[in-house]
Amino acid sequence: MNRIKHWVKSFTLWELLLGLKLTGRYLFKRKITIQFPEEKTPVSNRFRGLHALRRYANGEERCIACKLCEAVCPALAITIDAEPRDDGSRRTTRYEIDLFKCIYCGFCEESCPVDSIVETDIMHYHFENRGENIMSKPMLLAIGDKYEDDIAKAREQDAPYR
Amino acid sequence: MNDVKEKSALSQPAREEIDKWVAKYPEDKAQSAVIPALHIAQKYNQGSLTDSIIESVADYLGIPKIAAFEVATFYSMYELKPVGRHKMGLCKSISCMLMGADELGDHLQKKLGIKFGETTPDGKVTLKEVECLGACRHAPVVHMHNRYYESLTPEKADELIEGLE
Amino acid sequence: MAEQELVEIEIDGKKLQVKPGSMIIEAADDADIKIPRFCYHKKLSIAANCRMCLVDVEKANKPLPACATPIMPGMVVRTQSKEALVAQRAVMEFLLINHPLDCPICDQGGECELQDVAMGYGKSVSRYTEGKRSVKDKDIGSLVATDMTRCILCTRCVRFGQEVIGLPELGATGRGEHTEIGTYIEKSLTSEMSGNIIDLCPVGALTSKPFRFKARAWELEQGTSVAPHDCVGSNIYVHRHRDKVMRVVPKDDESINECWISDRDRFSYEGLYHEDRLTQPMIKKEGAWQVVDWQEALTFAVDGLKKVIDDNTAAQLAAVASPNSTVEEHYLLQKLVRGLGSHNIDHRLRQTDFSDQLATPVSAGLPISIEAIETQEQILLIGSDVQREQPIVGHRIRRAYLRGTNVCVINPMDYHFNFDVKEKIIVSPSTMLQELAAVTKAVLDQTQNTRHGKVADLLKQVTVSDSHQRMAKQLLGAGDKVVLLGAHGLNHLHSSQIKLLANTLSQAISGQCGYLTEGANATGASLAGAIPHRCAANLGVAKSGLDAKQIWQSQLKAFILLNLEPEYDCADPQMALASLQQANFVVSLSPYMTSTMKDYANVILPVCPFAETSGTFVNIENKWQSFAAAAAPQGEARPGWKVLRVLGNLFEQEGFDYTVSTEVRDELKVAVDGMTMTQTNQDHIPSTLNFSANVDLERIAYPPIYRTDNLVRRGESLQRSGIAEAAAVHLSANTATQMNLADCEQVTVKQNGQHVNLPLHVDGRVPDNCVYIPSGFAETAMLGVTSPAALTLERS
Repeated sequence: MNRIKHWVKSFTLWELLLGLKLTGRYLFKRKITIQFPEEKTPVSNRFRGLHALRRYANGEERCIACKLCEAVCPALAITIDAEPRDDGSRRTTRYEIDLFKCIYCGFCEESCPVDSIVETDIMHYHFENRGENIMSKPMLLAIGDKYEDDIAKAREQDAPYR
Repeated sequence: MNDVKEKSALSQPAREEIDKWVAKYPEDKAQSAVIPALHIAQKYNQGSLTDSIIESVADYLGIPKIAAFEVATFYSMYELKPVGRHKMGLCKSISCMLMGADELGDHLQKKLGIKFGETTPDGKVTLKEVECLGACRHAPVVHMHNRYYESLTPEKADELIEGLE
Repeated sequence: MAEQELVEIEIDGKKLQVKPGSMIIEAADDADIKIPRFCYHKKLSIAANCRMCLVDVEKANKPLPACATPIMPGMVVRTQSKEALVAQRAVMEFLLINHPLDCPICDQGGECELQDVAMGYGKSVSRYTEGKRSVKDKDIGSLVATDMTRCILCTRCVRFGQEVIGLPELGATGRGEHTEIGTYIEKSLTSEMSGNIIDLCPVGALTSKPFRFKARAWELEQGTSVAPHDCVGSNIYVHRHRDKVMRVVPKDDESINECWISDRDRFSYEGLYHEDRLTQPMIKKEGAWQVVDWQEALTFAVDGLKKVIDDNTAAQLAAVASPNSTVEEHYLLQKLVRGLGSHNIDHRLRQTDFSDQLATPVSAGLPISIEAIETQEQILLIGSDVQREQPIVGHRIRRAYLRGTNVCVINPMDYHFNFDVKEKIIVSPSTMLQELAAVTKAVLDQTQNTRHGKVADLLKQVTVSDSHQRMAKQLLGAGDKVVLLGAHGLNHLHSSQIKLLANTLSQAISGQCGYLTEGANATGASLAGAIPHRCAANLGVAKSGLDAKQIWQSQLKAFILLNLEPEYDCADPQMALASLQQANFVVSLSPYMTSTMKDYANVILPVCPFAETSGTFVNIENKWQSFAAAAAPQGEARPGWKVLRVLGNLFEQEGFDYTVSTEVRDELKVAVDGMTMTQTNQDHIPSTLNFSANVDLERIAYPPIYRTDNLVRRGESLQRSGIAEAAAVHLSANTATQMNLADCEQVTVKQNGQHVNLPLHVDGRVPDNCVYIPSGFAETAMLGVTSPAALTLERS
């Protein structure tokens, strides 16, 4: 019996038609192709991408050089040097993240008592020269300054779950 | 350390009075006289102490300066800021409070135009809050010049203030 | 004292045998049972004011503080019962009411006792919603930073001030919620041991100012080392971060420094990173300095020295080393110089009288242990500012004093000590000898001692007054006795006579005589042979080389200097500099380069200072303490022993094939262990004692506490601290009036055609007809320290 069934199926190209049915269905469905880079997919507010150092609204940098992120970093990607600033406050003189070492685990953001170091949703970046993988403090602050609105919004959206 | 004796801020009569107290304690226990000594020093300086007077008392008794500062800052009867000619202490403890010390306090502050712990600009009255004076049966009580003014009302208090020099 | 019977108690079900009268917390600590505490500290009195150590004692109706509850036989203590834990949690909650939650910016974070205990006993959320107390910070000097809002009022620092250093500067002012710890009137702490309150503070209220915000406790790596500044050899931990020394903290050693160290030992590490640090070898070619590699510098040095030796004789070569160098460095330096044929080597930089050197034992230190100072009944200090020179010895003497020991002093200045002095004689340096002679005579008379006939003959002319008799009577009291000779005695113009009398005196009172030597390793240097009259391990030499004084006087042609800055370190800086400048070839092994060094040296080889080199220091009680390098050398700097080893190789000498510094030490140690010491001081008796001063105005010169060696001179925070001295002229009020200078602010000091303007201080410590001008400063470098050349003061 099975042999007859098989014989009929192979003559009517049944399997092929079955496959074409799926193709046909998608042929008439709404297309979901994104025209990157003109278009981008939506990103979760918890996405962990490129790092940034944030400032307070009055322009004061948040980082207090507590070095908790440096201690918690499992990849040893963060290097911090600290010293008292002229006004006596505790500040970093060096804050570097090696993006080659970083595994984007988000522990640094998690450990930060002042919400200074954050991982933004920026994922499209590249390096052209050796050494560019080291993000220095001015670079991190610049990213923070540029995307502060987005960063703040993402933190606000996530706040109820923390 | 220089052994050069600084000029003492204590007057001769104050020293003599302190000596009487020092004599009451064993020879090497001059520290015991620090409380009366500070009171005496305060009396001879228009009712208040200054840093240099406290240091002089410490030097005079031969105790560390910080020991004298500890005592002077601990007790509220030592004044570390200049006070007026009349120091009024209003009792704010339970009996006086129940008998209207709060209202009386408000009245006094308004009348004198100062807050507790302050002195009138003319240097006449200093107003202080004090703890129980042990005169509960005639509450509320004000303590001034080692005298109790008892069962005070705002009116009686006004009279009292007006009668001050 | 008879052995007390032990009583049995039970803590947490553990049966313990303990001394009756001790506290529960001590018994628990001994048995390794942890009880949380803040105010209790084993070296301080019991305050019982933090209440953190509340424990549950059976048959007591409430929890009792373990630190203040004496042990009773059969006591049953529970530290982990429900009642105890409830009490401890409640105390923790109260402590946290006013404590700020600023751990992320607090330097104590990570090593904080409050943080640790809060992890165990604290709640994660506070029930307290009212405002927290805040306290204004105090400025108490350049060493200790304050954040008084964090203070939990344990009063450890207050008790430390009262009890340990005898300087009650901190106190608790105000009452109740307004209680504050502070000096009340803002001022710098004036103790040489003030840094210890940083370790004592259980929270971050008192932290180290030089270390402030530089690193966190958890990222520091710890190396053990030995303090390089005084002859005590305090044990320390060096904390480094990325190969840079970040701080120094004490390492407990009950027999030496207990749990304390002096500020000099704690903060001098700052000097390691001073701008003067030399990190590359330099040579002077045709008058111009150039940076070269090691190979070239070493060859240049060897060629230069060889040329001088070939042109003249080996006797034209001399080596001078700082007593702060390690045993290995001293040993290799003397091996090198002796190998080249010269015995001209010395480390006794500030000593001027060497006439008794052949008669004295090779390593003269303390015949008793440092710990045993506390159990002496009579202590005589001769020419010593012990509290500033050897803070730990000073601390031991204070402990002895608190026990009831009588301390007598014969000093050229009325130094302020944190112990009371029973009898004191304060006279000019030259009169010191006479006074010591009088006291010795009084002792010999009182005991009718005839064993010291020769010395007694010398003392015939000495007149004995009442004060001498009193001091003699005191010294003849019961118990163990020790006579301690400080820097003013050892560097006295006639130090051999001072030593002779001190030894005679100590024997006559049946006590011991100890020398508080200068630098960290004077004992080690002598044993290693960095002296002209003995080779390593006390082996005799056919003919003694030149001593430190003769070396500078003899216009030699070549020098090797180790760790030396002659303008600050030598008895007569002027003579030393002149001698170096006329020399043909000078090799300086130094961690620092100074402008004067550029002037006189031909080669400067950068050697590693303390913490960057391995080595050994021998302290005054003859204890050998070796240590490894705690941090990597900076730049091209290399440990001194390695540089000397390679110099030995380049001179093609035998026996310079060491690979590690311990091989050098072991070679010497074997020899030292087998050596014999027979000489005593009694062999050297001069024909007469020099009592008179040959100048009208005697100079008292000594480097103040923070000017003693090249490292501490560059410790910037120390230089700004409360007890740092500045270059100045100190005169007694009488002398100032006599010289008609009482109203001057500045005076001109003239000596040997040199002159300098210095501020004038009227100083009650200085005896009449003396002038105290500290050495160790650039301003005073041109004045001879103990030079007999007349010194005059004029108005400027």
